[in-house]
Amino acid sequence: MDIPVVPCHHCGEPVGDAARRVDAGGRAFCCEGCAAAAAWIEDADLGSYYRLRSASANRVQADRLDLASWDRAELQDEHSRAIDGGREIVLLTDGMRCAACAWLIDRALAREAGVLDTTANAVTGRIRIAWDPARTQLSALLHRLAMLGYRPYLATGDAREQARMSERRRWLLRLGVAGLGSLQAMMLAEALYLDVNATMPPPTRDLFRWLTFLVSTPVVFYSGWPFLAGMARELRARHVGMDTLIASSTLLAYFASLVETIRGGTHVWYDAAVMFVFLLLAARMLEQRARNVATAQVDALARAQPVFAIRERDDGTRESVPPSALRVADVVCVPAGEGVPADGVLLDAAADFEEALLTGESRPVRRHAGETVYAGTTCRERPARLRVTATGTATRLSQLAELVDRAQGHRPPLAQLADRVGRHFVVSLLVLAVCVYIGWRMYQPERAFEVTLALLVISCPCALSLSVPAVLAAAHGALARCGVLATRPEALDTLARATDVVFDKTGTLSDGRPARVAVEVFDGLDADAATRIVAALEKDSGHPIATAFADVDARAWAQAVVARPGQGVEGDVDGRHWRFGRADWAAHRADDGGLWLGDGTHGVARFTLNERPREDAAIAIRALRAQGLDIHLASGDSEGAVQRLAHVLDIASTLARQSPEDKLARVRQLQSEGRIVAMVGDGLNDAPVLAGADVSIAMGEGAPLAQRAADLVATGPSLLRIADAVRVARLSRRLVKQNLAWSAGYNLLAVPLATAGLVTPWIAALGMAVSSLVVTLNALRLARTSTEMAA
Amino acid sequence: MNILLMLLPISLVLLGLAIAAFAWAVRKGQFDDLDTPALDILDDAPPKPRQDARMREGDDGA
Repeated sequence: MDIPVVPCHHCGEPVGDAARRVDAGGRAFCCEGCAAAAAWIEDADLGSYYRLRSASANRVQADRLDLASWDRAELQDEHSRAIDGGREIVLLTDGMRCAACAWLIDRALAREAGVLDTTANAVTGRIRIAWDPARTQLSALLHRLAMLGYRPYLATGDAREQARMSERRRWLLRLGVAGLGSLQAMMLAEALYLDVNATMPPPTRDLFRWLTFLVSTPVVFYSGWPFLAGMARELRARHVGMDTLIASSTLLAYFASLVETIRGGTHVWYDAAVMFVFLLLAARMLEQRARNVATAQVDALARAQPVFAIRERDDGTRESVPPSALRVADVVCVPAGEGVPADGVLLDAAADFEEALLTGESRPVRRHAGETVYAGTTCRERPARLRVTATGTATRLSQLAELVDRAQGHRPPLAQLADRVGRHFVVSLLVLAVCVYIGWRMYQPERAFEVTLALLVISCPCALSLSVPAVLAAAHGALARCGVLATRPEALDTLARATDVVFDKTGTLSDGRPARVAVEVFDGLDADAATRIVAALEKDSGHPIATAFADVDARAWAQAVVARPGQGVEGDVDGRHWRFGRADWAAHRADDGGLWLGDGTHGVARFTLNERPREDAAIAIRALRAQGLDIHLASGDSEGAVQRLAHVLDIASTLARQSPEDKLARVRQLQSEGRIVAMVGDGLNDAPVLAGADVSIAMGEGAPLAQRAADLVATGPSLLRIADAVRVARLSRRLVKQNLAWSAGYNLLAVPLATAGLVTPWIAALGMAVSSLVVTLNALRLARTSTEMAA
Repeated sequence: MNILLMLLPISLVLLGLAIAAFAWAVRKGQFDDLDTPALDILDDAPPKPRQDARMREGDDGA
């Protein structure tokens, strides 16, 4: 191992020597943020958190967030409601991993003045806070949360939060009614089944049947309502699917039993109907729950801080409004350092805008009066006024987001295929059932209905439909434990089949902080002096390169500094004009990948900057290679920088100076060779590539739009999570295969038996239940293996 | 078999009670979070006297 790596005491991210901070107790931390959070937790006597938790915490961002907008009346009107003695708000957070997080949040907030009540729910990632506005500001409480690593995000609004909650409770109630009702119905049905020699007097038998009818009615119509509604929807859309099969078998069994009960026939099948509803409802809830957990957290990541627009009224006074209230031709003021709320034309003096969200270029771009500035960019240094030209979905940012959505639509739609196969299965099964009914009608009319019903119940792809969701639910849980969220159902399957991993270098393999590697000087200037000049030039540029010079005491001030996007920066230092940037611009030479200091005609110093690889990058790449994956590197950086990084990490296949289009072409080329490509990225300019790859992973600290385009989102910066995710994906794929083989084998065996009339409906129901149980238990093995893996 | 005439209504009443109890528990949010309450009892050391509580008492007295 190259660097001794220990996990951070707070967040569990690997810490190398370079960044390590060790406190008095000898515990290592990856950053100031984590160290501060841990110190506060100890001081507050909440140290049990570390004992109780089952998943490590989020890495804490050390920089103080600007949460002042949460205190604004407009925001609180929309997102909170008045309660006795204060207000109540529900908010989302991205860092809650396990129940201990919820425990910590509850205790930590309870120690703050003015907090009336809190509940944190680790399953949904939501925190409810009731506070007294007279005694504390909401932002103060949120700062405490942020300081512990839980960044607050706006939930979808009070009304929708209530709706979501009551929807969840309704499902739970349906399941409870189905469980209790089918238990009772089975008990009564058992009494009828045990009467093998038909010794029960008919009045007693009929009493039992009517009672079973009574308890199964709410199960079929209340608990089974989602299936009935689903069938209605499918029939309206002329698209026969799973719900039609489920609802029609249930209704058939229920109404046929009712008819038999009234005429005093030989058999009733209420038990088959209710067991069916209960098992399928349980399967569906299991699947939804797993997916909801993942999407709820990604929703939180993708949501920006609340933004407000400042609109100028006709008389020159200003008001603060939500961006949705802006109209075309309104005049908007953008304070320095804040985001532009809508596309517009700049009105007054020129100002600098950082367009990183749109272009990926973090250097500010100067815009003059009359030029267009875009929503999502950040106004730097000087406040600006603009006249709105496009709002909401018409903005460039929304169009970009839409582009990403469209790119996703072009992917081979696996889910649609499964749906189509399912539809054929359902249709041919219904046809078979009709044939069997006619056949038996001619051969032995009194058994025709019973045999058909047994066929429908036994062949209903219950185990088949349970086999995938059960594994998915267990796999999502296992993934969440190793810090990866899967947002799309087919992501796991594709990840398991992936053959190649393409890394986007900036920010994924490197830590994003360039360091000076070498300085060569020409023309007699010494290296220190050259470094100081560059430090002065870069001081206020805000460009990532500036961090490489942050440790240098410039001792001089640069004047008239102008940043040239894509070229470099120029300005006057000590009376001389300097340019610092690409060789062809700063030193009038061929571009060699280095950064030159010069005056535009000849260069005096050449700087080599290198981004350090992340501390766990080498280990992660070795782990991925051990899993049989080919590693590629496609970066927008210069040849030299890419080669150096590739050399350190031992990656053979590299491409430098790649635009997003080039990266996408590279992915397409690999795909055309029959490879299945997993793309790892984090930047917004990666978003189209992420959407175009077979499966994509966004790193947790990246741009929100990149995360929306990705199939999987790693919740922390550690690259080791990718190897873990691949392992879980492969295991779950194997389990899905086993489950499918089992349930298909069961159906193949059961359908001929049922057709031949050897199976009674209750054996069919039992067989279905047992096969479902086998499938579920098999899936649960995933949960066990993944804990072993983590240990 | 007359015992059935008593047992069956009882079982139905119990079923009704069970469903009512379950519905009550769901409505009260008992199932919203199944993990956190389990941790609450594990660490029931008396919380530190809250500073703000003392300050408030002082305010009231003044």
